[in-house]
Amino acid sequence: MRPDPQTHIRVWDLPTRLFHWVIVLLVCAAWFSADQGYMRVHLVCGLSLLSLLLFRIAWGVVGSTTARFRNFLHPPVRVVGYLKGLAGGEKILHAGHNPAGGLMVIVLIGVLLAQVGTGLFANDGVKFRGPLALLVSEDMSTRLATIHGLIFNLILLLIWCHVVAIGFYMLVRGDNLVWPMVTGKKPRTHVPADSNLIFTRSYLALILLGLSAAIALWVLAQGG
Amino acid sequence: MGAFVGISGRMSAAAYFGCVGLLTLVGIGIAMLVRPAFGHTVLQSIGLEAVPRAEAASFYSTRVAPLFDSRCVSCHGDRREKAGLRLDSYAAVLRGSKDGAVIKPGDPKNSELFHRISLPSSDDRAMPPSGKTPLTPDEVTVIRLWIAQGASGVQRTIAGAPRLVQEVRIPQDDPQAASKARASLSQQVRKLQAEMPGVIAYQSRNSADLEVNASLKGSAFGDAQLHALMPIQAEIVRLDLSGTAVTDASAAMLAAMPKLQVLRLSGSKITEVTIAALAQSKSLRSLTIGDIKIAGNGLASLRQNHVTVYGGADAP
Repeated sequence: MRPDPQTHIRVWDLPTRLFHWVIVLLVCAAWFSADQGYMRVHLVCGLSLLSLLLFRIAWGVVGSTTARFRNFLHPPVRVVGYLKGLAGGEKILHAGHNPAGGLMVIVLIGVLLAQVGTGLFANDGVKFRGPLALLVSEDMSTRLATIHGLIFNLILLLIWCHVVAIGFYMLVRGDNLVWPMVTGKKPRTHVPADSNLIFTRSYLALILLGLSAAIALWVLAQGG
Repeated sequence: MGAFVGISGRMSAAAYFGCVGLLTLVGIGIAMLVRPAFGHTVLQSIGLEAVPRAEAASFYSTRVAPLFDSRCVSCHGDRREKAGLRLDSYAAVLRGSKDGAVIKPGDPKNSELFHRISLPSSDDRAMPPSGKTPLTPDEVTVIRLWIAQGASGVQRTIAGAPRLVQEVRIPQDDPQAASKARASLSQQVRKLQAEMPGVIAYQSRNSADLEVNASLKGSAFGDAQLHALMPIQAEIVRLDLSGTAVTDASAAMLAAMPKLQVLRLSGSKITEVTIAALAQSKSLRSLTIGDIKIAGNGLASLRQNHVTVYGGADAP
């Protein structure tokens, strides 16, 4: 079911969409692998997440219009104002993330980075140590492992909030946010008429992803 | 209500968030079913399920819990909760892991916890895992018998349980600490040792505690000589005044020595006056009084203070 080019407009570039869905898969895989004790798989998931998060930060600076932080990061007052307007039934159009969604993106990136960061230094008390666990004391490693477990609960809560928000837009506001994140296109009626969207070429994303992966591997190598 | 009615006649916000609340509750319910330990935690924390508690004198508290504390809690406690299992309280043990109960009361063979601790250390699933100190056969037996008898938190004894082996730790000498403790009084000790050869000595090579044996001096050692020991009196742990000329004039000094544990007075000039004063000593553990005459129950206070008294003749 391809969106009709006459009625739909491209808002999300391919790298941003891929980032979103691969993150979803990796978080699920990291959860499952840790739960089942497949710690090597968990390590690969963690390093992949690190690469993707680093990529997303870079893409938030040089990527397409809707991927750039400066276009969806707003001061708290504006976020609160947006939410008040939402409760009042206002329909304000945004090509990319709305102010509340933008805040959620930043929070999720931050929390996932904290989760990956603590995981690098954590140990499971049995046979597995994070790649950098030996760089800190056993006590600190154990403490970070505890924090790693606590942050995971926060991630679950944030995911639930994210899903509830998406459901709200879809069922209450009649605005499907999921499908555009798959196809990259939104109905023209849901995008401000004066939107001037510029898309960065995808090969740049590949280069940035390669660099991010290299940094993740370099981090891995620091553990010896 | 207008603000809560969705555009295009879609679901209202109130209805939507009502559904979200309901879904959240259903999700928590499913999680409680899938993860029984989580279920028990939720029910116990909101008071819908009694929290099982073990009595302090129960077999669990005296024999089983110490094993869990020393061998398991580092990975299954408040700092880390491997497999969602905690073994740091009776309630947590019964709650089990993310996969369900680990104890089946009355059935050790089908209890996951017992199964894991019974596996050979070469098995990947053995607990404690390789590299950690394994449970001894007696310790495994203690846990097996406890489960077999119903995993009770009340039962105090279990027939056939191996005897409790008390671990005895012998404190190690610390030469550095000893030399530091000696530093402040070494000069005084050397001076007094020169004045009274053979009377004053350190209790051991790595100790600042002093032993004084004045019995060697006999009647040449009196109150004046004892008072000359005042600068070092705080470090004296053993004092032998047998056969000396020390009198009751030194009673207050003897009673005030903070570390004095062993005191020998037989054959000295001391009377029951000093013995009565010694009841105030908080450190004294052994007192030899020989044939010093004591009236009535003059030794009662000392014995109440757990001082072992050797000798003592009844006063006429």
